[in-house]
Amino acid sequence: MGNLTRRGFLSAGLAMTASSLFGKNEAKSVSSDIFTPPSIAFPQKKPLKTISDRPPLLESPRDIFTNVITPNDQFFVRWHMPDIPTFVDLNTFRLEVKGTVNTPLSLSVDDLKSKFEPVEITSVLQCGGNSRSFYAHPTHGVQWAHGAMGCAVWKGVRLKDLLHTAGLKPTSSWVGVNGLEKPAVEATPKFFREMAVDEALTENIIVAYEMNGEDLPYLNGFPLRLVIPGHFSDSWVKMLSEITVMDKYRNSFFMDVAYTVPANDCECVTPGADLEYKRKPIAVMKVKSVIGYPTPNTLIKKGSRVQIQGIAFDEGYGIKEVMISLDKGKTWGATKLEKEIGRYSYRKWVFEWEPKTKGEHTIMVRAISKIGKIQPLADEIGWNAGGYQYNAVDSVNVKIV
Amino acid sequence: MNKIILLTVVTAAALYAQVNKPIEMPYYDYPMAQQDHYEVVAQHCLTCHSFGYVLNQGKKRTRSYWTGTVRKMVDEFKAPIPKEDAQIIINYLVKNYGDGK
Repeated sequence: MGNLTRRGFLSAGLAMTASSLFGKNEAKSVSSDIFTPPSIAFPQKKPLKTISDRPPLLESPRDIFTNVITPNDQFFVRWHMPDIPTFVDLNTFRLEVKGTVNTPLSLSVDDLKSKFEPVEITSVLQCGGNSRSFYAHPTHGVQWAHGAMGCAVWKGVRLKDLLHTAGLKPTSSWVGVNGLEKPAVEATPKFFREMAVDEALTENIIVAYEMNGEDLPYLNGFPLRLVIPGHFSDSWVKMLSEITVMDKYRNSFFMDVAYTVPANDCECVTPGADLEYKRKPIAVMKVKSVIGYPTPNTLIKKGSRVQIQGIAFDEGYGIKEVMISLDKGKTWGATKLEKEIGRYSYRKWVFEWEPKTKGEHTIMVRAISKIGKIQPLADEIGWNAGGYQYNAVDSVNVKIV
Repeated sequence: MNKIILLTVVTAAALYAQVNKPIEMPYYDYPMAQQDHYEVVAQHCLTCHSFGYVLNQGKKRTRSYWTGTVRKMVDEFKAPIPKEDAQIIINYLVKNYGDGK
């Protein structure tokens, strides 16, 4: 209750600041303006925060970040197009490998399972717009909290094995990928993603048919999806149906306009600037850590023993350290890192805490990668209009009673 | 031998059980402001996406933000919205989901 009051107060404070900045005097509560999405159970899913039902945009709850592996039935969902087939018949479904190849392929899921070497990789999957609601200045796009990411064990075949089987013609320089989702209007740009052929031939990119030991859940891309460890999810195409090898890059909305950041060193612009800047596609993920427990506004009894827990990850170098602060960033201590299960996976961290004073406490965590990349503080993070790549220090307020 | 066969059958059943018939997608009626020209807004916006896309913008937005967003739908996503309807949609969004700027 006390926490709620404080939150309301903070919101009102923010509203007043914003109003005075814009020369408006009326102070009104922002909280009443913010819509709370419903929690709905979609097929094969537990109830999840439903940002949109069509196309489905479903967000995982924060307490999922106490797990290194995200369960399939709570794994986030984000589609782009409204028309997603509600049934895929594996007897007729084929993955086409075509374009500038010597032998075009048309493969059933059984072909993939029986004719190619199976490989497994544990990797984080994170939407480029994940956590964008934490940017202090508003951005474009729907306002995800931290729950547009998850970590799973993906099993499938290497993309490079498929490309080598088809045989690349010497002029091949780009590989395009798309799936079965379709726009409502014919003229709408297709969800078509591209990568340079050198990248497509790297060891770790796989066409996955299993997620955490099961068929891919329908809404996570059944029967096949591309897995690009270390990269934001924009090219992890779901219901993958076509791989097109090309001589030339094909200009497209989803490569050149959507999922882009400013093409400068900081990948940032002055907050409030619109999308009128030179852009580049988002690519590898930024070092990040998130608190899974306690969740915001948890009441904790003074003197009880609390295990603060969460996860951290980066683009694939691995996590060196996750620091924690219980005094709003004045001092930082070390958390205990659990065993690394893979360099693209979540790394769990824990911290034993025995709160001794009553009142509001802020828990903050900050990860450093093995190559020395560190999360920015919330008031230091560079801003971009699309609200992509948010990775500032996470903080959670709790109350000791 | 029997054990192996049994295991195979069980595995196959488990794998196909999930998707042997069409999934049914839930529908949610996002509570949009029932104000002037709501029908025009619904007719065009709902062709491609739910109103969750509007309501989950978080904070209230400026007129230039809503104008740019509707323009993006027409220019980039090729939504077939006549000019006068686009203006009606912008005005509706500014009135109901605008920050007064």
